[in-house]
Amino acid sequence: MLTLPEKLLFIIFAILSIYLTYIGFSQIIVAVRKGQPEYYSRSNRLFERIREAFVRTIGQTPVLKSRPLVGVFHSFIFYGFTFYLLVNLIDLIEGLLPPSFAPLSGSPISSWFRLGSDVLGFLVLVGVIFFVWRRFVSRDTKLERFNDSVLLQAEVRAGGIRMDSLIVAGFIFFHVGFRLFEAGSLLAAEGRLDPWQPVATLIARVVGFGPDRIIGWHIGWWLSLGLILLFLPYFVRSKHIHIFVAPIRLGLGRRAATGEKIGSGALDPLNFEDENVEQFGVAKLEQLRWSQVLDAYACIQCNRCTNVCPAHETGKALAPSAIEINKRYELNSIRATLAKGAESPRPVMEFALSESALWACTTCGACVGICPVGCEPLIDIVDLRRDAVMTKAQFPQDLNSAFRNLERAGNPWGLAQDNRKDWAKEIAAPTVEENPDFDVLYWVGCAGAYDPSAQKIARAFTEILHHAKVRFAILGNSEKCTGDLARRAGNEYLYQNLGAENVQILNAALGNRDKRVVATCPHCFNALANDYPQLGGKYRVMHHTQLISELVSDNRLPELILDENITYHDPCYLGRHNGIYDAPRQVLNGPKRIIEMQRSRENSFCCGAGGAQFWKEEEPGNTRVTENRFQEAQATGAQVIAAGCPFCKSMLSSSESAGETGAPLVLDVAELVAENLRRVKSKLGIG
Amino acid sequence: MKILVPIKRVVDYTVKVRVKPDGSGVDLNNVKMSMNPFDEIGVEEAIRLKERGIASEVVVVSLGSGACQETIRTALAMGADRGVLVETDLELQPLGIARLLKALVLKEQPQLVILGKQAIDDDSNQTGQMLAGLLNWPQGTFASKLEIADGRATVTREVDGGLETLELPLPAVITTDLRLNEPRYTTLPNIMKAKRRPLDVLQVADLPAEAVPSIKTLKVQPPQPRKPGIRVSSVEELVRKLREEAKVI
Ligand code: SF4
Ligand code: SF4
Repeated sequence: MLTLPEKLLFIIFAILSIYLTYIGFSQIIVAVRKGQPEYYSRSNRLFERIREAFVRTIGQTPVLKSRPLVGVFHSFIFYGFTFYLLVNLIDLIEGLLPPSFAPLSGSPISSWFRLGSDVLGFLVLVGVIFFVWRRFVSRDTKLERFNDSVLLQAEVRAGGIRMDSLIVAGFIFFHVGFRLFEAGSLLAAEGRLDPWQPVATLIARVVGFGPDRIIGWHIGWWLSLGLILLFLPYFVRSKHIHIFVAPIRLGLGRRAATGEKIGSGALDPLNFEDENVEQFGVAKLEQLRWSQVLDAYACIQCNRCTNVCPAHETGKALAPSAIEINKRYELNSIRATLAKGAESPRPVMEFALSESALWACTTCGACVGICPVGCEPLIDIVDLRRDAVMTKAQFPQDLNSAFRNLERAGNPWGLAQDNRKDWAKEIAAPTVEENPDFDVLYWVGCAGAYDPSAQKIARAFTEILHHAKVRFAILGNSEKCTGDLARRAGNEYLYQNLGAENVQILNAALGNRDKRVVATCPHCFNALANDYPQLGGKYRVMHHTQLISELVSDNRLPELILDENITYHDPCYLGRHNGIYDAPRQVLNGPKRIIEMQRSRENSFCCGAGGAQFWKEEEPGNTRVTENRFQEAQATGAQVIAAGCPFCKSMLSSSESAGETGAPLVLDVAELVAENLRRVKSKLGIG
Repeated sequence: MKILVPIKRVVDYTVKVRVKPDGSGVDLNNVKMSMNPFDEIGVEEAIRLKERGIASEVVVVSLGSGACQETIRTALAMGADRGVLVETDLELQPLGIARLLKALVLKEQPQLVILGKQAIDDDSNQTGQMLAGLLNWPQGTFASKLEIADGRATVTREVDGGLETLELPLPAVITTDLRLNEPRYTTLPNIMKAKRRPLDVLQVADLPAEAVPSIKTLKVQPPQPRKPGIRVSSVEELVRKLREEAKVI
């Protein structure tokens, strides 16, 4: 137990520390509550949410998944620290109250408790040493490498994150270290060895035995618990706050009112009913939804998102982590005035990211997919684009014509609506009017309708449908662009206009019948499946690779006999945003299994087309996203790169290396299946 | 300085135009209509002059059916201050329009009239020139660059041999070429605001001008469909075909 003056001092110190910490926390809470309301629920199914957050936190899966080694050391610290909450509480009681109150003394679990605090404390030290070594000695470049063009807050540029890491690491190291010293000194003073505390015993041996060693216990107690009080007010602004916010954020995923989870493919809609609104999208911090403000504090600044971002990887000015980090530093410096009711002083685009960064995003979703705490930088980007496009009309010039064409012609190429069915001049593709008894509605999409390379996909797929005797129909000239590109470029208004028209047409074509809609374009697929429910269009949507895979298993299509070496590129809007990885692989695994690229499935690397990039010049960087991906595909030695998206096909086949002799050919899965049909027929001597 | 910008509602450039079966004209049923792109460039130029502090008011005017109000609203959303619609069901032709516009110019007293060099429906390329003639004002047609200073307009025009630069005293008539500017994308708040900007509707009878058509349309015909091209395998074959089949060399 402490002496009386020690106790008084500790209590005064504690009150001061808790008061300062409380102020910091309450300012953060005010900032988060100033955020705008959410469209989807982040609080229904509370029990499920808590369970989810708990399981993921305790299991440490989000951390282990993407960086296994780091994850192990992180677990050391996590479990140790969690256990230390208990250790600290007991130490507190033992320090302040007479020995008769000591909660564990004499109880049988006391030995286990001592073993736990000893071993876990040691593991925490190992973990901290590992992290310090990684950041300061081996200098893992993944951690802080930002392209020079990335906008960073001055404090971050000046090494703020390293400083923060050092302080946090120092705190953990000394806090836990002195706790072990405290335990060791107690053993030394009592002159005994404790097999349940091997590390403390070792320390006791080092400090030497004797009753005067009790002074070591006092020092250790003060430095381990006192350090907490010293650290707490800083804790609120440090990255260490993630120990509170991250588990909460993990439980805050978007869910529909019915409880079903909303994936990254859906964006939150805006409401255009109110004619007095003058601000669309996000210009200032307080216009962010509250979850986006919280993201700034949930972010652990681990840079996983930036490491997988195709824009950053190819030297662009965009780093998704920098958005969260910059938001955090901004909030830290203004949260006191915000809490007093002041407005944030400057627009988000002044501190969070540059204009080039804003327009470099392909909306591939890699950042959202990998973030261990559930941050969604992509959503910030789209909201900022909304402001740029709809409120300010400041966006890359190239998009101007894409938008105009969409408004006028209903397709981004600006080609005549009346020519929409021209792709099917030489192959029968009945419209819903011509074939009202269809089972499957084939949504062709603008690419399939107008782009010569994608028309081949549409024709190949139609050939497949005919062969498998699927009763299908198309919408013909009444189909319009889904609006995906407009929506992802921030033109929510244009998207909603197009979407509303399409939903009306689809609802009329499908009636009350529960027909399936199949799309050969993942962007269309995503819009139909994830965007349109917001506009009143709920359909059973499938991708053509899913239908083909189903037809093969029903023996309505022959198995693959193609013997080329094939690699498969996962389109972002099919894979990451919609979780469809297996269907195309089932279709393509024939006599030879497909050769996987290093970055595949959820780790797939964007082709560079998404988020309206296809319709504009790429932002300045050191290579093109497409080229980066093509080279990876080429390195597999495959003869064919199979894609499941007309835009991926178009991008990859126009990359620089694709022009070299002997470069692999880029084809859609449907084209390969149609080719397979031809080969099977000629082998059987038919057709 | 006030600028008057006449705008025309035309069949959108993305529409595949269909001729009515009876050959009396173009089928406008269910066809997307929008502002003539050259006129849009005129509106943009006028707004830029206003933003640079050179113009004080931009008035857009359209002649035709009530549906032209929508076209005027588009121009107001871009940033024009005021709209005027001269409502009529008459078939309007360049000379008639130029006469009505002259009456409007006398009423509004602008220092500058900016028109598209032609409308993409009939491609007449006459109204601007006729208006300048009727008003006896100097004209700078096919402008690819426009500068206004000290009561004079400097107009750069693209002509066959290169660029020609003219200097005109104001008031003057300018017609726009494609390269003059790229019209802005309208912001949503401006679309909302445009709904509240003034738009006066006049009848042709309110103006002291005659707009009776002077040209009679006999028949409208679609162009002959183009024959598909063929692929030749060598230069020799190309030369031979050009000589023997196409008979052009
Ligand atoms: S969505 Fe993709 S491109 Fe955009 S910031 Fe995230 S990782 Fe980068
Ligand atoms: S947003 Fe997520 S992935 Fe990116 S740095 Fe922050 S915590 Fe890491």
